Amino acid sequence: MSPGSDADVIGRSLADPQAFGAIFARHAEAILRYAARRAGREAAEGLIGEVFRVAFERRKSYESSYPSARPWLYGIAANLLFKHRRAEARRLRANARLAAEQLASDSGRAPRASDAALLLPQVVDVIEALPDVERETLLLYAWEELPYEEIAAALSVPVGTVRSRLNRARARLRELDAREGGTMSRSSRRKPARRRS
Amino acid sequence: MKPLDLVRKLRRDADLDAEVAARILEREGARFMTTIEAASRRELGERHVRQRIIPQLPYHDLAAARDFLERVFGFSERQSSRVIDRKTGELVHTAVEIHGAEVMIGGHGGHGAHSPKSGHSISGVLTVYVDDVDVHCARARAEGARIVAELEDKFWGDRVYEALDLEGHRWRFHQKLRDVPQEEWNYSGD
Repeated sequence: MSPGSDADVIGRSLADPQAFGAIFARHAEAILRYAARRAGREAAEGLIGEVFRVAFERRKSYESSYPSARPWLYGIAANLLFKHRRAEARRLRANARLAAEQLASDSGRAPRASDAALLLPQVVDVIEALPDVERETLLLYAWEELPYEEIAAALSVPVGTVRSRLNRARARLRELDAREGGTMSRSSRRKPARRRS
Repeated sequence: MKPLDLVRKLRRDADLDAEVAARILEREGARFMTTIEAASRRELGERHVRQRIIPQLPYHDLAAARDFLERVFGFSERQSSRVIDRKTGELVHTAVEIHGAEVMIGGHGGHGAHSPKSGHSISGVLTVYVDDVDVHCARARAEGARIVAELEDKFWGDRVYEALDLEGHRWRFHQKLRDVPQEEWNYSGD
């Protein structure tokens, strides 16, 4: 494998395009797993090649002051994932059911877990209702555990914007909690989950 | 449970065990390498093809021709195109350019092309767009070019003169003065 930081490799690939193969070798698995988490394995399989083709085409505009290419690749993947919104929504709902079952079976030990389980479908509603850029920011933070700086690099926005988007997403989730009578903090009855088709 | 913890609960890895992921990555990686190899060849081509059509003119005395084209018509030699005969040290091929547009120049008789100096008639004429054709014409005249058609405003909006170089190749130097729509071109054969 070519030595040096991603920025070095990408710089070299301007004159020697095949050097860019090292970027695939280094990051394809992380990006594949991210895409699979978001939109499922099938969509991820179709998307992974495209992410790197787009990256390769744009390598001239790579911000060379950023040594790791990973946030940049996350950003490209995030853009391409917009085309898979339906698969993503289906997956999110299926995940909510699985997570709810798991929480419900744990509820013997943790009584509040069952309340959280009942909330999950509505958390999905909130995530689904977020503007694309806020959903993207939220998931890069909560699922991929990227630091603010990397999310900012991935989405080409200032760090302050990442912070304010996350605050808005958090606020929406808290509103949900308040509407449901504070299930997140204490036990309560709940209305049946709204379904959207 | 904090709001973000609920979001974290929704994170599930797809059924991608190490083996499946490795298979996908191997296949997609091979495809990707094929893609960048093709792009690599294309980019190499683009870097080296500066101009899709490059005319070439034959001269008996290539070095003198190059000097003339530089001094009289304002070209500059593309030294990276220069070919020198290793035995004789003689210049056998080069190119000159003006505003990034190039013309190759080579020896008399090469590729079946002959210099008008040895009595051959010319079979083509080169048109060159310059920024100020009056200034260009004055310089060419002062430096000894033979002007064969004086400066004139043409019906399609160009101002043009024609000159012969040292071996008799004919050059037309143009400057666009006006945008004349094609339907207003007033051509009456001359």
